[in-house]
Amino acid sequence: MAAFDTPQAAFGALRPACVRLTEAQTVENVARLEARLAAVGAGALQELQEYVLFPLRFALKAPGPRRERVVQRVLRCLRAVLLGTRIADPRLLQELLSELCACLPAPRGAPAPAEELQLAAVRALLALLRSARGDAVAALYRPSCLPLLGFAVSLLLGLAERERAKQVRLSALECLQVLLLQGECREQRWLREERAQRCGDLFASFLPGVSLALSRIIAGDVKQGHGITVAAIRLFYQVVGLVMADEQLARVPKQKEKPKETPSVEQSRIAELIVHRGPEWSKSTSEKLSLLLHKIVEISSVHSHWRVRLELVELVHHLLSNCRLSLVDSFTHLLKALVGLVNDENSEVQSRCNEVLQGIAEQQVIAQNRALADVLSENLHSLATALPRLMNSQDDAGKFSTLSLLLGYLKLLGPKINIVLNSASHLHRLSKALMQVLELDVTDVKIVEDRHWGCVGGYDPSGSMQHGVQKGRSQRKYFRFFTEEKIFQLLQQVCRVLGYYGNIYLLVDHFMGLYSESAVYRKQAAMVLNELIAGAAGMGVDVLQEREVSLSMDDLRGSVTSILEEYTDQTNWYLVTSIDTEEISREKQTVPRSGLAALPGAACSSILPSPDPHVTTRTMNSNVWQLCIQLEGVGCFAAVLGREFRLLLLSALYPVLEKAGDKTLLISETAQGTLVDICEACGYDSVQSLINENSDYLVNGISLNLRQVAHQPHAAQVLSTMLRHSDASLLPLVEDVIQDVLSALDQSYSDQASTFLGVLHSLMAALVQWFGPSCSKEHQQRQAAEGQSGTLSQIQQETTSQEMERFFLDYIKQKQIAEGNLSDSSDEEADKVPPLAKPELSNSDAEGETPLPSHAQLAKDVMERCIHLLSDKNLRVRLKVLDVLELCVTVLHPHGNHLLPMAHRVWPALVTRLISDDPLAVLRAFKVLCTLAQKCGDFLRQRFSKDVLPKLTSSLLSQAAASARAGPVYNHTLAFKLQLAVLQGLGSLCEKLDMGETDLNKVADACLVYLSAKQPMKLQEAAQSVFHHLMRVDPDSTWLFLTEVCCPHPYEPPHTSLQPVKLRGMGRQRDEFTDNILLLLEELQQQESAGAQRAPPP
Amino acid sequence: MRTAPPSPPGAKSGPRASRGSGPLPRGAPRVPGPREQRRVRRGAPNRRRFASQPPTPRRSDARLPCPPWYPCCFALPVAWMAQPPPDPRFVLRGTSAAVHALRFSCGGEEPAVPVLFSGSENGFIHVWNLKTHRVDAALDGHGRKSVYWLETMDGKDRLLSQGRDQRICLWDLAEGRTSVTDSVFTENVGFCRSSLLKVAQGRWLMAMAAKALEEVQVLELPSKTSVCTLKPEMGAKLGMPMCLKLWQGSCGSQPLLLAGYEDGSVLLWNLSTGKVLSQLVCHQEPVMSLDFDSEKAKGISGSSEKVLSIWSLNEQQNLQVQKTHRLVNAGISDITIRPDKKILATAGWDHRIRIFGWKKLKPLAVLDYHTATVHSVSFSDHKSPSDRLLAAGAKDHRISIWSIYTQT
Repeated sequence: MAAFDTPQAAFGALRPACVRLTEAQTVENVARLEARLAAVGAGALQELQEYVLFPLRFALKAPGPRRERVVQRVLRCLRAVLLGTRIADPRLLQELLSELCACLPAPRGAPAPAEELQLAAVRALLALLRSARGDAVAALYRPSCLPLLGFAVSLLLGLAERERAKQVRLSALECLQVLLLQGECREQRWLREERAQRCGDLFASFLPGVSLALSRIIAGDVKQGHGITVAAIRLFYQVVGLVMADEQLARVPKQKEKPKETPSVEQSRIAELIVHRGPEWSKSTSEKLSLLLHKIVEISSVHSHWRVRLELVELVHHLLSNCRLSLVDSFTHLLKALVGLVNDENSEVQSRCNEVLQGIAEQQVIAQNRALADVLSENLHSLATALPRLMNSQDDAGKFSTLSLLLGYLKLLGPKINIVLNSASHLHRLSKALMQVLELDVTDVKIVEDRHWGCVGGYDPSGSMQHGVQKGRSQRKYFRFFTEEKIFQLLQQVCRVLGYYGNIYLLVDHFMGLYSESAVYRKQAAMVLNELIAGAAGMGVDVLQEREVSLSMDDLRGSVTSILEEYTDQTNWYLVTSIDTEEISREKQTVPRSGLAALPGAACSSILPSPDPHVTTRTMNSNVWQLCIQLEGVGCFAAVLGREFRLLLLSALYPVLEKAGDKTLLISETAQGTLVDICEACGYDSVQSLINENSDYLVNGISLNLRQVAHQPHAAQVLSTMLRHSDASLLPLVEDVIQDVLSALDQSYSDQASTFLGVLHSLMAALVQWFGPSCSKEHQQRQAAEGQSGTLSQIQQETTSQEMERFFLDYIKQKQIAEGNLSDSSDEEADKVPPLAKPELSNSDAEGETPLPSHAQLAKDVMERCIHLLSDKNLRVRLKVLDVLELCVTVLHPHGNHLLPMAHRVWPALVTRLISDDPLAVLRAFKVLCTLAQKCGDFLRQRFSKDVLPKLTSSLLSQAAASARAGPVYNHTLAFKLQLAVLQGLGSLCEKLDMGETDLNKVADACLVYLSAKQPMKLQEAAQSVFHHLMRVDPDSTWLFLTEVCCPHPYEPPHTSLQPVKLRGMGRQRDEFTDNILLLLEELQQQESAGAQRAPPP
Repeated sequence: MRTAPPSPPGAKSGPRASRGSGPLPRGAPRVPGPREQRRVRRGAPNRRRFASQPPTPRRSDARLPCPPWYPCCFALPVAWMAQPPPDPRFVLRGTSAAVHALRFSCGGEEPAVPVLFSGSENGFIHVWNLKTHRVDAALDGHGRKSVYWLETMDGKDRLLSQGRDQRICLWDLAEGRTSVTDSVFTENVGFCRSSLLKVAQGRWLMAMAAKALEEVQVLELPSKTSVCTLKPEMGAKLGMPMCLKLWQGSCGSQPLLLAGYEDGSVLLWNLSTGKVLSQLVCHQEPVMSLDFDSEKAKGISGSSEKVLSIWSLNEQQNLQVQKTHRLVNAGISDITIRPDKKILATAGWDHRIRIFGWKKLKPLAVLDYHTATVHSVSFSDHKSPSDRLLAAGAKDHRISIWSIYTQT
């Protein structure tokens, strides 16, 4: 609150203090004046400005030794005055300026005054400059004042550079800034321009000194604090921006103007000081500045404080926008700084940097400026050249910054990228660099070892697709030169930006060339191609400016089609990825064969890369990766083309499906991911519908490939993949081609059998799955029907009188059967068919064949092939055939009229397997037999008892001795497994086949030895199970049989007229069989009593 | 889009089942109409033998003695000679019946999709899109009776189809329409393919087997006015016409008709006088198919026997046998000379398509894919020769597409 508002009052208040000060320059006097001043209003002070200033100036200029404290106080007071008033008189301004400068320490020599004094002086100077009115300032910036200005500038620079106190240096820099950039925004535009032009001319003479000093400050010790560096950078770019501004330089006349009248001596000396900013000057200056800028950029771009880096961005921005032409030489460094900072760790720097880049791109600075584009492409070239070396030597962070630099250049070039690409050497460098950087690490052995047995081993009913359905993202890749994922992402961006701006035909052509040039580049080139296409479509690409013309769908499709063609070419698609003994042996068989079949010198045998036995794990690994990359590419192309990709499914779907059935886990997983991608892109609901709706394409591929021996395994793979991923609705669509498979099999039983068996197995497994439930339902119905007509096993639950009657009836029946009266029984069987089915049956009989549902017909066809293959000389094949056979029987089961004749035909071959084959085959064959028995029932009874049973029982008996003696290791032998399987299956077999008494006895005899406690536990249990089944079939005879061996109870006849019961087992010593037999008898007892309870009373 | 329902059980056993049972000529199943029965009674030994003794093709040794693959009639490097016959480019499935007639229409400019029309035994005409290889439309206009002849009139928008329902239909297919705009009732019970000849802009001649057994009628389209009826002399005993070919020499000359008859003879008719110009007995069996090259004045015919016969027409308008070519297996159901007159293709009852050089009838290739009688072969009319295709339709419900212009 000012106490003295009017000049009069203020004058009254200030006068005594001023007078006292003039008389004696003491601290107290200055303090008094200062105190008074505080009470004076601003308007009044302005009036009295000169009056007040006088004593202060006088104090400064006072002769005699200076007293620092006084001077300091005076300066403070002066500052206070200046802060409150404006200076309108140019003279006053100049005088004050020179007086204040005198208070600053001289650049050299002269011991430096106290810091406080310096600070006060600088602050006062600052206040002075700020308080100067426009016209006064204008007067200051005249050539005539050049010496004064120069003096001030050099003093301030000296302070800023050499002083230790941070505060002083900062103030000096601030002061310099105000001095040099006085009144930037106070006046009208044209005035400002004119002034700026004048200042520019003026300061051009200071530029060398200023820029050098500032760059020294910037390059100074980090300990000086970031504030100074920031201020210095700012000042630097403002000064340079002012002096080197394109606008100003453009206005500078070519020749130095001759002054009109002959100048005075003084004037001419001053004129000598003024620089003419002609083209030569600007050229040499920019060269020098370029050196300085290079230094500044180098230092500050790695400065630890982010504000410095931010200021650097501003510097680049300022210079790029103001001195585009004059500083072309420095752009290399400037852009490098900018581009390098795009991925700065500080988000503020990053975003500002992006903004600046965006701005540059939007202004089309580069697009319009050929020189800049040249600079950029030159940078790019040298970077590309150095890239491989840098990738080898740098750590991950260094690699990251190098690559972000590369990306930044590309982004900045934008549409001008084509200039670079059109130069062969540029493109060559760039692509080679990418090839080397993207080199994959292929030493991981696990990749090859991870196998996928889905198509060979058990059928996965849940469909392996279900858990693979999650969006197929690309597999994590391992690179030789870097490990961090973000580096890979950068590289991805590099490729995408290339694809986005670049001429896609040129790029695709070039990288395709690399792809086919050498196997070394193949994976990388494929990776690059994938990303190029993604980029060309604008997918996941982050750019600064839109391209001028976006690619038409047709162009994109053209490129994709050609790449796809190359990828799925036989030489690139059928790579050796595993050494499968089976496969190798097969290939070895087929290769000469295909050579013969294909006429002399046929080209077709060279289609497959010959299976070289010396393929290393490394090559296979590399092949696996290549396939994965190509598969990912297909997925990417699909995503790019969207629904348009449907047209390409014709050629693309088949190969992908082929790989989905590959045995290498990595490949099959990738392929399944690709399938999911394709589904999504083309708008299919699921992989299943993708396969179903395009089955015509697939079927076509399969059928054509089946015609060539070399491709049969692939075709088979595709078919089994289709079957695995689809449902019953697929069947009508593939029936046709399954017939093709069968006929292909017919033509090459000897060598291709195992290939086709794989397909047949998946086919039958699929059929079992698709039609399984219905099978079992029908089966149950049939069983129920049988149950009604009354089979032997049911009678136990009936009342005793009926039981007796039944018993005898059945006895007769059994006897008939035992005599081989089979025709009767089968007639009965036919009679038992429900009446509904009858007309149909007779109808079909007339035709000779019942119309079968297609799946059953297929099963029948397959079964027919199995009959032939059962006696194949290769054990593996035989085992597979047995598996397939079992499935066939399951599928055919509801169609007894067809199953039985087939069973009849299969029988001889099956018996041979059961009787004289490798134990493994016997084991499987026995399983088949069990299944067959379940389905065919008593149809097999006689054959079984005649052909198989004697052999089985004798082998059981002969083996019993061995197993009784053997130790625990025996449990792991094949013989043991065989014994176990036979014992486990025999019981139900007997029950299902409804065996006759003699046969049952044989079985019981054979199994009895396994009830011995000496046998391994498992065998004992299995033998018990046989007896359980026997009990169910014929409890009485079983009881008798068991008691013959061991009888715990004496049986008293109920009446004396009856003979006493004598059983051989009575009163025997406890032996090895006792435990098991007692157990069995007890169970029999329980079963009987339970049956009796359940039965209604007579 | 797919029209591939499973064949109804019992109605048709799969292609495999048909092997060896002997193919019938197109138009099967043959239910002899009253006229046919009369014909048999009147005693045409050829006819009966033909019907009762179907040739049984054997697959085992059916290759030509010299089957080097040979793409065109250009001089070939030796290496090519050893190449195995190619595989089909593509196989079209889904007609669910034997295919009896094929017709390409691929001459259109770009956005127009090349199509292939196929006529099948179940009376459907399928329009195949040759870009997607799928059926674009299925036309049902012959009462589920076999369609055995297809011809386009100026582009793919107007299609003529002849079926066993004794009708020839004119389809309007422009802008997605699928309607029959006009039809001719032939009253002919045979399966003789008609023949169409464009005589002027908007004016066509169509020759077809007429109601009377031995007669051929020529109509003018689109007016459907009868131009003439060609009746053999009394007692000629030619039997029914089996195949027809209308042709015109150099511009403006009279259109002539070549007709192959049941007794194995080929007749050249003058349409304006309605008289026979020349008669040539070139087969012992019915002539199943013939094609004629008006530039070289040379034609070829095939029958149900093992012989291809090449005959020429001299200046006196006389037909002369020039050469016969013995085949390994009997029965040719269709013969087509490629529009550039360099090669020709035959559809064999032995399931094979054979390619011959037209100049010397040099066997070039045996295309082996089908598993049943091939009923029809057709060359495409693509503008660019490298795109051109050969299609073959067979009893095994499949249409195989071959690219035999650009084999490298």
